[in-house]
Amino acid sequence: MATLQNKGAGIDKNNKYDRQLRLWGDHGQSSLETARVCLINATATGTEILKNLVLPGVGSFTIVDGQKVQGEDVGNNFFLTVDSIGKSRAQVATELLSELNEDVSGDFLEENVDDLLQKNPAFLSSFTTVIATQLSEKTLLNLGKVLWERNIPLVVCRCYGFIGYLRLVLKEHTIIESHPDNTHEDLRLDRPFNGLKEFCDKLNLDTMNKKDHSHTPWLVLLYKYLQIWEQKHGGKLPSTYKEKTAFKELIKEGLRKNDEGVPDDEENFDEAIKSVNSSLHATSIPSEIQDLFNDPACLELHPESKNFWVMMRALKEFTRNEGLGFLPVRGTIPDMTSDSERYIQLQTVYRDQAEIDALAVAGHVHSLLHTIGRDEPLKPDRTKKPGTITDSEIKTFCRNAAFLNVVRCRSLQQEYDHDIIYLEELSRHLIDEESPDEGDDTVLYVLLRAADKFFAEFNHFPGYFDNTVDADVPKLKACLNKLILDWGLSSTIKDDYIQEICRYGASELHSVSAFMGGVTAQEVIKVITGQFVPINNTFIYNAQRQTSTTITL
Amino acid sequence: MAAIMNGVLEKSLLENIKKSKLLMVGAGGIGCELLKNLVLTGFTDIELIDLDTIDVSNLNRQFLFRKEHVGKSKAEVAKESALKFNPEAKITAHHDSIFSPEFGLDFFKGFEIVLNALDNRAARNHVNRMCLAADIPLVESGTAGYLGQVTVIKKGSTECYECRPQAPQKTFPGCTIRNTPSEPIHCVVWAKHLFNQLFGENDPDQDVSPDTEDPELTADAGQAALATEAKKDAVGGIERKSTRAWAMDIGYDAQKIFNKLFRDDIKYLLSMETLWKKRRPPQPLDFDCLPGKGEIMNTSAMRDQRVWSVQECADAFTQCLSALKNDLNSRGENGMLVWDKDDHHAMDFVTCVSNIRAHVFGIPLRSKFDIKSMAGNIIPAIATTNAIIAGLIVMESLKILAGNVSKCRQIFLNRVPNDRKRLLVPCVISKPNPKCYVCSEKPECNVILNTTKITIRILQDKILKSHLNMIAPDVEIDDGKGTIIISSEEGETEENNDKLLSDFAISNGTRLKCDDFLQNYSLNINIVHVDKLDKEKEFEVVGDMSQFQPKEDENGKPEGESQTNGNVPSTTKAKPDDDEDDLVLLEDDAEEEISKSPGNLSRKRPAEPSEDESLIKKKKHDVAAGDGEEVIEIS
Repeated sequence: MATLQNKGAGIDKNNKYDRQLRLWGDHGQSSLETARVCLINATATGTEILKNLVLPGVGSFTIVDGQKVQGEDVGNNFFLTVDSIGKSRAQVATELLSELNEDVSGDFLEENVDDLLQKNPAFLSSFTTVIATQLSEKTLLNLGKVLWERNIPLVVCRCYGFIGYLRLVLKEHTIIESHPDNTHEDLRLDRPFNGLKEFCDKLNLDTMNKKDHSHTPWLVLLYKYLQIWEQKHGGKLPSTYKEKTAFKELIKEGLRKNDEGVPDDEENFDEAIKSVNSSLHATSIPSEIQDLFNDPACLELHPESKNFWVMMRALKEFTRNEGLGFLPVRGTIPDMTSDSERYIQLQTVYRDQAEIDALAVAGHVHSLLHTIGRDEPLKPDRTKKPGTITDSEIKTFCRNAAFLNVVRCRSLQQEYDHDIIYLEELSRHLIDEESPDEGDDTVLYVLLRAADKFFAEFNHFPGYFDNTVDADVPKLKACLNKLILDWGLSSTIKDDYIQEICRYGASELHSVSAFMGGVTAQEVIKVITGQFVPINNTFIYNAQRQTSTTITL
Repeated sequence: MAAIMNGVLEKSLLENIKKSKLLMVGAGGIGCELLKNLVLTGFTDIELIDLDTIDVSNLNRQFLFRKEHVGKSKAEVAKESALKFNPEAKITAHHDSIFSPEFGLDFFKGFEIVLNALDNRAARNHVNRMCLAADIPLVESGTAGYLGQVTVIKKGSTECYECRPQAPQKTFPGCTIRNTPSEPIHCVVWAKHLFNQLFGENDPDQDVSPDTEDPELTADAGQAALATEAKKDAVGGIERKSTRAWAMDIGYDAQKIFNKLFRDDIKYLLSMETLWKKRRPPQPLDFDCLPGKGEIMNTSAMRDQRVWSVQECADAFTQCLSALKNDLNSRGENGMLVWDKDDHHAMDFVTCVSNIRAHVFGIPLRSKFDIKSMAGNIIPAIATTNAIIAGLIVMESLKILAGNVSKCRQIFLNRVPNDRKRLLVPCVISKPNPKCYVCSEKPECNVILNTTKITIRILQDKILKSHLNMIAPDVEIDDGKGTIIISSEEGETEENNDKLLSDFAISNGTRLKCDDFLQNYSLNINIVHVDKLDKEKEFEVVGDMSQFQPKEDENGKPEGESQTNGNVPSTTKAKPDDDEDDLVLLEDDAEEEISKSPGNLSRKRPAEPSEDESLIKKKKHDVAAGDGEEVIEIS
């Protein structure tokens, strides 16, 4: 085992990483910088993936590869050079990849992964994530088993001619910051909390001067007019389209009029009317979060429970107690027309309530930790020990309470087991083949499985030797038919595909590797940072048609 | 080399790869990835053009560059780095602008394919025209954060880059910037203008003093005149000499500059009472008495993420003013500074100045991190997206070389798989727009303006060069006499510059024949005279007159919205409440390789190959969240 480190006088990381900090923030970056990834096989695809992790600053990488550099490696792998032919592929790739970023340390182990799995599988335990490329089915399943038992995320990537394949094997991946698209603001206009009530009740639209009137935040306007509405409608909020339209009219009537009785232009009123549809939804706990509350991992806490589940349980307790059936207030408000004084006050009102709620959740966290025997350190100045949960973690958790997510992938064992294979899913995707334009690339998955079967039988991939391409076609067809029969699928696959696969001869095209290197590294970054929701669980790329699909297998 | 692909790729294609000469324009984020892919796909003859030099913030993704290369030519270093890996390849690097006359029609004709890896619209427009003129296929691409796209442009068979009206570059009315800012971005723009006034190139369009010609004031003509009188007294005649000369005279004294900008000028603005009838009036600040004075701030961590107090801003103002003054002095008599978001002092300057101004006008203050996004038009950029897009570019190029242009697709990369589980969305590329003012048989467009207000200079600089992207236009009036009003030859028509269009009897219906020799591009312009355009607009360029509707409602729909293109098979989920107002285009001095709109424009014009880097979400503080809000979905 050799180590290559070249930590030098660093340049300002904030500058170097500026463009990506805007996507995953400082804490995402720090997760990345403490991550240890392992790459099995420094193939073109493997080094492309690592390149995309080294550049943004992953903590460290280790390449496990027992092969020597060959002529064909040099032809498609940017991180192997002609003069390195005959040398350890792991070593050469580690050296060249390390040059990309001085803040990243690179190690390598010149050993075949089969040998490693046999002799020292514990070696893999120290990694945050393991990435495997171009493995045989047998090796892949062995590796999958070892990592599944140790609960280490495995990301499998493979490029085969014009086909790209990616599989995520995550036993349980919890996500606090899922960065959802198009979310509703959490404004609680339907059930205002005390701080909001006090703030709004202090303001009197009728007596304020013209300037203040037209600079009262729309949130306050909605609050005020909802009160009027509720009085007229027995405490009920406008919910139907008709009611909302009537409510908008009600707001419009509140516009100040000039001396001739013509309503003034008041931008804040326009904003209030525009916000009616999006802001008056009833506050509730999303069903996904309800499901997580009832997840066994949440119900049955134990000393080894993940912080995520302890906080999830605390969140549940909060909703049953202080929260009166609701999640903690998120604490942010959108930009709006307002004088900055009142805008800042309003911001503070929401932020304060978020603090109060987070504090209540923290109370539950601490008593839960106590119950499972993981008390906080007694003195605040003691360094944080593993197993405790900081206030800032709790705050982030509360802020994202409506968007928490858990991804559980099936294991490779499950996918390959004939009895529990997702046949229905498979055949649903394959049926589309009837209309090729609507087609789905899942057929390529089946073909790859057939090629693996071929390999297991003949010890080489179909079409690997130029002179056997034609002879391999019927053999591959036989493998494919057997596979489909074993699965009990009724689909048929066109011969064109079989010919095509034989033509590929298991070669790696650099541009396909480059593409898959980008897609795969992106998923690895999601896994490492715990931000954004990774693919569950298979991604297939068709480089000829430039199409892709994701499927759960 | 590339022996591994025997069998996978057709023999004839492999031969084409070997003998084809490619032109790559841009050696940035996509460019680095692309150059590597091309070399490893077996291409051996590549020319590379990029004017840029390497910056620290490139290193998180532009992997052909290292720390020691910062400041060097991207094209040169990319070439050197790539050659290390394949010494047999022939790579020619040009550290030069693609607009340079050296890269004319004959140059473009020497290539099989041109590959764009650019970061701005002007250059994309130019390469588009050159490729159309030379009839060379062009692969166009761009990324923004997690989003990206690739498309192919081939004369006569696909739409060109300019077939769809491009989103207008949004600028803010001068009087909003100078008199009545209401949003942080207005203050940021003002701060950048101030930087140029104090240290950079003097641009009369970037005046930072109160604007006495604010249309809101002219409602009362008497008052405007009065204001002009008052101006001379109120600011002690400073207006007569340049801000920079004045600042130099007082040795860039922080207190004096501060008090002029944030106390005296503001008091003067207050005297324009009409402006404040419906607005919150600004509050003048005195350098010696600022909010936050004496407070001890937690200055240790996160200086960039935290919003500074006004006192902190003033302290920062003093510091960077003096640093910038020294920098300026070190550049000799006529030296000047160019604002750069990655320059520490320049960025601090804009941060503190825009925040102080925001405070004066009761606008929320922002952190340096956020202001950097706004001022620098920063679009997030990562290695992974560029890798994906560069892979796609090569695949499309292979189709072109195999003679299958009809199989090329316009491909969008989504942030996450869409509802149909597709991360990639390939679309059939649209046919050319028969009314396109660039690629149609007889290019023609309409320019709506007031002929008694527009000078020849504005026609040349703002309309032809800036808006219509010509490089060196020649213009004659199609009046039977062929009166030449603009010549690309230096010294021939300069005397016309300050004359009005009407001085040449140009009126409603006049036709102008414009010719750009460099781009091999001719365009007929029909002048449409109107007395008044919307909201301070000087002119409007419309390809198809049926698109031009005098605007009625204030909200204003963007140009081109009425032109829904029936054969574009995509729609986007859209929040109805969230309309175009959220998008702002700043000036085009920007950053990274972009082409797809991170936001709403994409739903109107899904095939628009490039909404520029300058696209940002106005109402979001958080750029990370603002990115890619609306992902294109094909249903």
